[in-house]
Amino acid sequence: MTALNPLQKLWLTETVRLREEHAGALEDLEANRLARTAGGDLPTRIQHRALHLAERDGLTAALTRWLQGARLALVLLALVAVISGAGLAFAALGNGLAPVNVFWALGSLLGLNLILLISWALGLLFAGEHSASLGRLWLWLSEKLARDAKAAQLAPALLLLLQRQKLNRWAVGVLVNGLWLLALLSALVILLTLLATRRYGFVWETTILGADTFVAVTQALGALPAVLGFNVPTVEMIRASGDSALNIESARQAWAAWLVGVLLVYGLLPRLILALLCLWRWKVGRAALRLDLNLPGYSQLRERLMPSSERLGVNDAAPEQLHHVTGGVSELESDGALLVAIELDDQHPWPPKLPAQVKNAGILDSRESRNKLLEQLTRFPPARLTIACDPRRSPDRGSLALIAELARSAAATRVWLLQAPPGQALDAERLGDWHTALHQLELPFADCAPLNWLETGHD
Amino acid sequence: MTKPLKLAVVGHTNVGKTSLLRTLTRDVGFGEVSHRPSTTRHVEGARLSVDGEALLELYDTPGLEDAIALLDYLERLDRPGERLDGPARLARFLEGSEARQRFEQEAKVLRQLLASDAGLYVIDAREPVLAKYRDELQVLASCGKPLLPVLNFVSSSDHREPDWREALARLGLHALVRFDSVAPPEDGERRLYESLALLLENARPQLERLVLDQQVQRQARQQSAARLIAELLIDCAACRRSVVTEDEQQAIGDLRKAVRQREQKCVEALLKLFGFRPQDAAASDLPLLDGRWGDDLFNPETLKQLGVRVGGGIAAGAAAGAGVDLLVGGLTLGAAALAGAIAGGALQTARSYGSRLLGKIKGQRELTVDDSVLRLLALRQRQLLKALSVRGHAAMHSIKVDTPQDKTWREGKLPEALHKARAHPQWSSLNPHAKLSQAERQEQIEALAQRLDET
Repeated sequence: MTALNPLQKLWLTETVRLREEHAGALEDLEANRLARTAGGDLPTRIQHRALHLAERDGLTAALTRWLQGARLALVLLALVAVISGAGLAFAALGNGLAPVNVFWALGSLLGLNLILLISWALGLLFAGEHSASLGRLWLWLSEKLARDAKAAQLAPALLLLLQRQKLNRWAVGVLVNGLWLLALLSALVILLTLLATRRYGFVWETTILGADTFVAVTQALGALPAVLGFNVPTVEMIRASGDSALNIESARQAWAAWLVGVLLVYGLLPRLILALLCLWRWKVGRAALRLDLNLPGYSQLRERLMPSSERLGVNDAAPEQLHHVTGGVSELESDGALLVAIELDDQHPWPPKLPAQVKNAGILDSRESRNKLLEQLTRFPPARLTIACDPRRSPDRGSLALIAELARSAAATRVWLLQAPPGQALDAERLGDWHTALHQLELPFADCAPLNWLETGHD
Repeated sequence: MTKPLKLAVVGHTNVGKTSLLRTLTRDVGFGEVSHRPSTTRHVEGARLSVDGEALLELYDTPGLEDAIALLDYLERLDRPGERLDGPARLARFLEGSEARQRFEQEAKVLRQLLASDAGLYVIDAREPVLAKYRDELQVLASCGKPLLPVLNFVSSSDHREPDWREALARLGLHALVRFDSVAPPEDGERRLYESLALLLENARPQLERLVLDQQVQRQARQQSAARLIAELLIDCAACRRSVVTEDEQQAIGDLRKAVRQREQKCVEALLKLFGFRPQDAAASDLPLLDGRWGDDLFNPETLKQLGVRVGGGIAAGAAAGAGVDLLVGGLTLGAAALAGAIAGGALQTARSYGSRLLGKIKGQRELTVDDSVLRLLALRQRQLLKALSVRGHAAMHSIKVDTPQDKTWREGKLPEALHKARAHPQWSSLNPHAKLSQAERQEQIEALAQRLDET
């Protein structure tokens, strides 16, 4: 199989997108992996993935068959064009028995072409992408000729892809103008053959128009071909042809040259120019065709094909167990009652009003204050110690270690979990964390001041 | 190929380090986030890439919890007559046995920071500036790596940003970034990376690339989202059911069900597009319940809530949301079909219109989705889109999203594309024999998406 050209690759990618959009995502683990390994930017990877999926599901083969169908359809259309072009020429000149009415001949050669040319141009200007029944006919024919269920999304995909760059009109333009060019060429060839091998006399007829009109029209039409070197019948010849076909060679040749010239200039030439113009636009647009990465179908692929973030995994594993802080009580001889607070902010008025027997050890925050108090407690252990904590802080290991150390230097310790300052609420989850942590230290706690206990030793 | 910039995300326990990583990587499943202290006990990395090139590596570390004791310990490491600098002291600490016992978690953090180019020091801005945080910063500073303080939870009402600014300035940290990992500001990531670029001049090009890429991707996401919503609207506008009068109630029920399911599909696609899982939307502000809208689309109350004006019939709830085209009222349909016919696809329109007309003569009626339901769909999806684009990937609780102020969808004329869709039943995936790939449909979706993106 020949390698796919860029357009076909884009086409297959679009087809796969449509398929996934309509029938759900395809199984794409392998395709994604391959696309990731192949590297490149996102469009390249998306294409890589799509081509792999297309190959796997037989879409590529379907595309090849579709292309064969399209070529066959094109050949059929071309054949029709050639035959109808020849038919035009035969119809224009007739069987040679009767003299040829020049304007009838001109009408049958160029009339239909002119009408369809105008309708095509109008369609191009106003209807945008939806005109050109000939283009539709071709698509329909190719689909019929391809006869493949897998190809169901192929034609829509192509249309969508081309439409995004507004390329439909130019592609169809190439087709339409090319076919007409072919038809007119065949008409020209038949015309020349007939003129070369048969003898035709040329007349014009009228009932209500004057001869001058015909002279003017003939000369006006002949002016452009004359630039290219085609003969124009002289005024006398034209006037004379109004009565009956002139039986002189020069008149026949002049009329024949005029007819061929007009067909060439007003039939073939415009179609040729338009076909080339469309071809140029098509080539330019085709080179600019890209995947539209903003389509939801493609933007969802980004994370799979070119993840903007990936996890790197754990590079320093968690320990089996965190350093454990243990509680305990002082075995030393102890006396007195002490209240201390840990890491309070300025929203708590501190200290509360204390009974005379209870000493206040202030708020512990810095290392210095901690060490000072711990040293003091080791020397004079209190009988009862209450540690006030703000449960809005998180119960981290440092705070728990401090609480445990304080508790170890007192005979009995209670923890007072302060209420939230007015207007605020405690976070229930965090309070729960405090409860769990203090349970592990085996310290009793309460949410109200155990001042009574501090003072007397019982509640 | 440049070497990726390595950043260690450090800070006290429970300040949202893993959340910050989730938001920066847009990965809702990264690590574990909970209210408990020391949730993360290991070091885990994530890589940010642009065009397949790794630019940034972020490492989530355990929280520092015992900095006061650690600093105390560190200061006692100096032997008599010796004056160690920060990194040398840390090196001695990391070799010692306490780095494997009491300070095992702290040692992990320090090791990672030493191996990184810089650290992001995450701060819970609601916390008072306690001595332990200052000691933490002092320990971290001794690594000799640039530190960028990141103020988390700044969208909370009781944050203490000024206190923190002052305290950080006293410690010589003047550059800092506000970044709420739950509700990150739209330019939050850009500011974070720009501040980093000030600290790490060499890494500026790659950080700028990252910023640029994220901007591009954000736009792409918005456009994709607009397309998804546009497809939903076109599908619903073009939806059309022929029904004989007797079965009308049943058919209305079916139609509503189909529209609800279609909306759900769009919601799921939007969630996926923004990197959220359906369950992430549960129990959150996203006006969704369990990943689906709680208020029923066809409840007249829902319409009122979002300020969509409804006509008498619907407010009464008679045929809420299902406009019924009667033969007499077929004038509107006729006009729409005619407009569609002129616009193109004349043949097809005429054909479908013909069969519909035939159906009417046979006594059938046409059910369509009412204009106000389309408005509601547009409003709700846009509200969801707005919520999703400001939602951090660490969000576990709700953020308030204002009721959208878009007058255009609430009152103004519906976009032209929807009127056209009305005349093209084959454009709706909810109808049988849909032709979804039709070029005209795509064109209208494009136009509608653009309109949705603009307003």
